[in-house]
Amino acid sequence: MGTSAAMKDESSESNGFSCQYYIENGNIDNKAERFLKAFAAIIQYGDYKSLLDSYCNSSAKCSRCVVTCPIYQVSQDPKDIPCYRAGLLLDTYKRHFTIGGWLKSRVATPWELTDETVEEMAELFYRCTACRRCSLECPLGLDHGLITRLGRYILSMAGIAPKALQVSVREQLEGETHNTSKIPRPAFVDNVEFLAEEIEENLGVKLTFPIDEPDREYVFFCAVSDYLMEPDTLMGNAAVLYAAGDWDRWTIGSGNFDAINYGLFYNDWHLERIIRRLIGEVQRLRGGSILIGECGHASRTAHDFVPVFGDKEAFPVKSFIEYTLECLEKGKIRLDPDIVSERVTYHDPCNIARSKWIVEQPRQILKSFVKDFVEMTPGGHRNYCCGGGGGLVSMDETHEFRMTIAGQVKADQIRDTGADIVVAPCANCKKQLKELVEHHDLPCRVVGLHDLILDVIDIPGGKTARERHAVKVCALAS
Amino acid sequence: MESWINFAKGPLFSVALLTMVLGLARHVLLQTHALVTRKRRRLWLVPWRRVAAESLGWAVPIRHLIPGTIVISAASFLFHVGAVLVPLFLSDHVRMWEAFLGVSLPALGRNASDLMTLTTLGCIVVLLSYRVVIRRSRELSRPSDYVLLVMILLPFLSGYLAGHPGVNPLPWQTMMLIHVLSADVLMFIVPFTKLAHMVLFPFDRMSVVHWQLRPGAGDRVAEALYGKEARV
Repeated sequence: MGTSAAMKDESSESNGFSCQYYIENGNIDNKAERFLKAFAAIIQYGDYKSLLDSYCNSSAKCSRCVVTCPIYQVSQDPKDIPCYRAGLLLDTYKRHFTIGGWLKSRVATPWELTDETVEEMAELFYRCTACRRCSLECPLGLDHGLITRLGRYILSMAGIAPKALQVSVREQLEGETHNTSKIPRPAFVDNVEFLAEEIEENLGVKLTFPIDEPDREYVFFCAVSDYLMEPDTLMGNAAVLYAAGDWDRWTIGSGNFDAINYGLFYNDWHLERIIRRLIGEVQRLRGGSILIGECGHASRTAHDFVPVFGDKEAFPVKSFIEYTLECLEKGKIRLDPDIVSERVTYHDPCNIARSKWIVEQPRQILKSFVKDFVEMTPGGHRNYCCGGGGGLVSMDETHEFRMTIAGQVKADQIRDTGADIVVAPCANCKKQLKELVEHHDLPCRVVGLHDLILDVIDIPGGKTARERHAVKVCALAS
Repeated sequence: MESWINFAKGPLFSVALLTMVLGLARHVLLQTHALVTRKRRRLWLVPWRRVAAESLGWAVPIRHLIPGTIVISAASFLFHVGAVLVPLFLSDHVRMWEAFLGVSLPALGRNASDLMTLTTLGCIVVLLSYRVVIRRSRELSRPSDYVLLVMILLPFLSGYLAGHPGVNPLPWQTMMLIHVLSADVLMFIVPFTKLAHMVLFPFDRMSVVHWQLRPGAGDRVAEALYGKEARV
């Protein structure tokens, strides 16, 4: 915690104003002027005008949203009320981009956007994790996720964006490696070969990962962190594909294997360019569809924005969770129900659950092999954010905020379940929850859905789950 | 006094009603125009059935009475019932609509409209107190949030008092003038304030439409701000 506090001080200093994350060139001048210039361009070329007009003329400030917001519930800071935060942007729009606002400024309050308000927005829009839980309880249906994103988009086009996100996106779009973790192609190939060896050792089958195979049904993308930090998730994915007999139907593209799209968190320009690269890779390989590994924001960006930006070139998008459930329902894979004896709970990643897209599928999979499954309350599409959403988890300097404020409600929820295992099918949620479990000393471990599937899946022609489990138990005993 | 009332009920009422109707129509037209011309084919990507179902769910907001919101939600819901029904269907108003617009609406019974008016008044008091007493609501509220509630309270209160001579402290004509004038002012300001949500709420609820971002817009924004060679 001491380190975090020090980092926070440092970030405030490097930004030239109080802000809990690092900004590239944080000391820029004329923030208000730059903000208004960026706002004007975004209104001119984007689709946000009607949204802003509608929200400006209807936001009732009823304060109902506070009971849904995990940040406000803990911080109790009025500035964390979704409507307060959105109000900063809506006021700016009203004052500087509507006739009514201009007239009002002549007649009554001479309010104008100042550098201080821009700095306040820079801080507040990154205290929101854009989980969109508040939109469930807004009687008018105002979507503060949209407003938070728009605020961040304008800020970033004005030159104010989190350094951690910028550096990753720059590498992904304009760097040599074209992925957020800067893995060069040879290292990626080595990594995949290493995973194949691991699979051979553990599952008892010899596999070669399909790289750049043309004309395959599925082109697979996952959060690049799965290759480095979460190999069990990736091996779980591979195990399902192999056990289901689909090994010849998928491929990974070496030109673009990273499904991460931080554009979703803060910038339309980046969001679209990353989606276009995704589509480009599938076209290059003449693939049939896009298969997205376990990651909330990556799944949502592909599922929601490939049709938007791809238009007629859009490919069907399937989440790996949907794919695994299909395999299970068709009897293509067998998951052993006698391996996992611990109590298991499931964390819904906001990006796939809030829209009710992926809520029941992972539960069906888990309940097929977990005897003691408990729900978090509330769960499903009404879930609470892990506290690291909206890109916050990638900004290490926000650690203290994520542990003590943004993630507090989730930590309490996990504790209440008494679970030994928390399943979270999202790279970002997993990183946040692992830190949260450690910080709050919770007696459980955090895994991906396919990490657990890797333990319980029977491999045709290889080792059964029971054989592997026995080996594991022996190893632990000795 | 009589001529003042007639002025408020006649020309002033016409101006206020016309302003409200045209102002709200402008909102609806602009929103619809933006949807059709800007979103175009992307409208087919919207799960309209879900949007409709979720919006309709708010017509009977029992499921939304979650802890921490019960008082404000119940007061707000009952307030809206009266605020919509009484101006339209009170028997005196029904006669007025018939004379003024030539449309005949079904009229509420005397007791029902009295009960609804009193409930609405009670709810306004609760909503006002909520903004004053509850810290989070107070800190979020701006002067206009209080002023608007009082401006809605006025026509309901004066209308009730004018209809009940036993409790009316002022001469009937004075009270009637207050009633008609405050209603005129209220109608006049509707399109320019958050009261416009009476027609904008379906558009607010279409947030999923607004997630259908505009292809190519990001490139154009970047170019406008940083030139053709814009970099991350």
